[in-house]
Amino acid sequence: MSDCGDSDVLWIPYKERPEWSDVTPVPEDDGPNPVVVIAHSEKFEDVYDYFRAVLQSNEKSERVLHLTKDALELNPANYTVWQYRRDLLKHLNTDLRTELDYVEAVIKNSPKNYQVWHHRRVLVEWLQDPTMELELTGDALLQDPKNYHAWQHRQWAIKTFGLYEKELDFVDNLITDDVRNNSAWNQRYFVVNNNLGWSDLICQQEVCYTLEKINFVKNNESAWNYLRGLLIHDKRGLSGNAVITSFCEELYKNKCRSPFLLAFIIDVCEDAIKKKDTNCFHNADRAVELCQALATRYDKIRSKYWNYLCERYKKYQSEQLSNDNKTNDLIIDE
Amino acid sequence: MNNEGNKDMAHRQHVKYFMRFLNILPSSLSSHDTTRVTIAYFSVAGLDVLGSISAISLDLRSRIIEWLYRLQVHPDKETGDMSLCGFQGSSTINIRLDPDNNQFRCGHLAMTYTGLCILLALGDDLSRINRTALIQGVKALQTDEGNFSATLSGCESDMRFVYCAACISYILNDWSGFDIEKATDYVIKSIGYDYGIAQCPELESHGGTTFCALATLALTDQLDKLSEAQIDGLKRWLVYRQIDGFQGRPNKPVDTCYSFWVGASLKILNALQLTNYGSNRRYVYETQDMVVGGFSKWPDTCTDPMHTYLGLSGLSLIGENGLLEIEPRLNITKRAYDHLKCLHEQWVS
Repeated sequence: MSDCGDSDVLWIPYKERPEWSDVTPVPEDDGPNPVVVIAHSEKFEDVYDYFRAVLQSNEKSERVLHLTKDALELNPANYTVWQYRRDLLKHLNTDLRTELDYVEAVIKNSPKNYQVWHHRRVLVEWLQDPTMELELTGDALLQDPKNYHAWQHRQWAIKTFGLYEKELDFVDNLITDDVRNNSAWNQRYFVVNNNLGWSDLICQQEVCYTLEKINFVKNNESAWNYLRGLLIHDKRGLSGNAVITSFCEELYKNKCRSPFLLAFIIDVCEDAIKKKDTNCFHNADRAVELCQALATRYDKIRSKYWNYLCERYKKYQSEQLSNDNKTNDLIIDE
Repeated sequence: MNNEGNKDMAHRQHVKYFMRFLNILPSSLSSHDTTRVTIAYFSVAGLDVLGSISAISLDLRSRIIEWLYRLQVHPDKETGDMSLCGFQGSSTINIRLDPDNNQFRCGHLAMTYTGLCILLALGDDLSRINRTALIQGVKALQTDEGNFSATLSGCESDMRFVYCAACISYILNDWSGFDIEKATDYVIKSIGYDYGIAQCPELESHGGTTFCALATLALTDQLDKLSEAQIDGLKRWLVYRQIDGFQGRPNKPVDTCYSFWVGASLKILNALQLTNYGSNRRYVYETQDMVVGGFSKWPDTCTDPMHTYLGLSGLSLIGENGLLEIEPRLNITKRAYDHLKCLHEQWVS
């Protein structure tokens, strides 16, 4: 990475290198009246003039491999250079393991660059060797635990090569470090979904895990979303899991008014209403009450949303009322 | 179009800001070398939403158009092959290439999409666009999964390019290069357990990709493929992104650009009015630079064309005074969209 150097004293332009004297640099042809012109440095123009030249002559040699390195240091987002480099690697039969080292260094410098991660993925595919990918992405996530590219690459490696074994532990560590790390919670779902499965036992274990984390930080959207998400796989559904519903009521009783708790109870009410299995805790009245509480006190930024949702439960209330009236009429008729 | 009654908007500075970017960028932005078309898009579309497309002189307008058309990749001269067709992002590698190396001169879906948007905003009639070729270029990029790659030569594939492909097909009024059923399937598969939508199936839900997915469904007229639960869940996930401004994922910092990505998503679901316009607006203005012009992701951070354009679009979505209306699916002004509709009528007749 440092052979073209931070120090300009060491840098010799390609046009002054005797070993490149056989190549005529090709300037960029941006047309007569270009716009959005980037005033590139002399170094940039020099390197890319030579890259254009070798692209034109289709030269595939070691020196061109070095040239692409220089070109990529100047612009790691140039996907054409990355592709040409891949062609070179194949043509020269280069040791791909040194290439893996190189990409790793570029990733460390530009961890949010799409082309770099794509290049890494291609190399791993060629080598069919994922043994370093968990460490690589693990390191990247140490720097930024929410780096989308790192998570994407990690999921791909795990899924493609079946590397689930220690992933739940990895996820658990991240959640312990930061219970609000939404990426880690997403990864947890990924592991359970693809590797452990949603047996009743696993579901309940995950429920316990999540409730513990909610107890720790009650106002954490990630944990509440995960709870709702895993209940998709619980045949009891949102309103049928007594462990959860009593946990929620306990929190509520202890004055917790986290908007996520209140929203969850509303969702439980919705589920109960749909299943025609309402009770004193989960019914349209409670849903209305909670929507209004959220709109007026506990989640005011979303007041319009909660008022909108409230209309749905008010409708259920009036439907319930008219059903009750019908029933009363029937009773009176008898 | 005037800006009376909008003392908050540094209108003049933003116009100057975009005009500067249309002209010349410093060498520190070298890493944008292959994406210059997107910078031109943010600038032109930005001037458009400011109601200042006329700041672009007729001369500059034709310069931009000529420059763009030089980036259109045409069918192979010998074989007539169209799989590489589209727009490039820059002329970096536009040199005479041997047939062996021709594959490097290929279109990039994001550049084709933004290139077309620039032409529409400038009132070009697209008569120099080889529509069939561009659509064949789109077709060549769809995967079996329904996903799209950015280019034919070595690139990643994800929801961003599904969106670009849908926009291109919509703009050119030709869906023969876009398998709607497969793409819809891919979108649905990318809905997360929290009802947000990710870059690819099973990845973390994200505001930007949720926009790409929803806009795709809207453009392909497949919104009805979402279940009621999914729509309810999406609305909930999206409105939860509001802290004051909007964030892109749960528990992440807010960022001006999500005022567009999340705002437009909600607009498509007819639910933007359920958010707090005042807080959103206040946050975006905190990221405005009154001196240099432009908007940034966070307050007291450097401005850039993307955040500037998306900040303005985001404000337009909530009816900000002094801005033109935005067509949320394509992310162009209604003015440019109306021009497109005229072109569609002409093409049919």
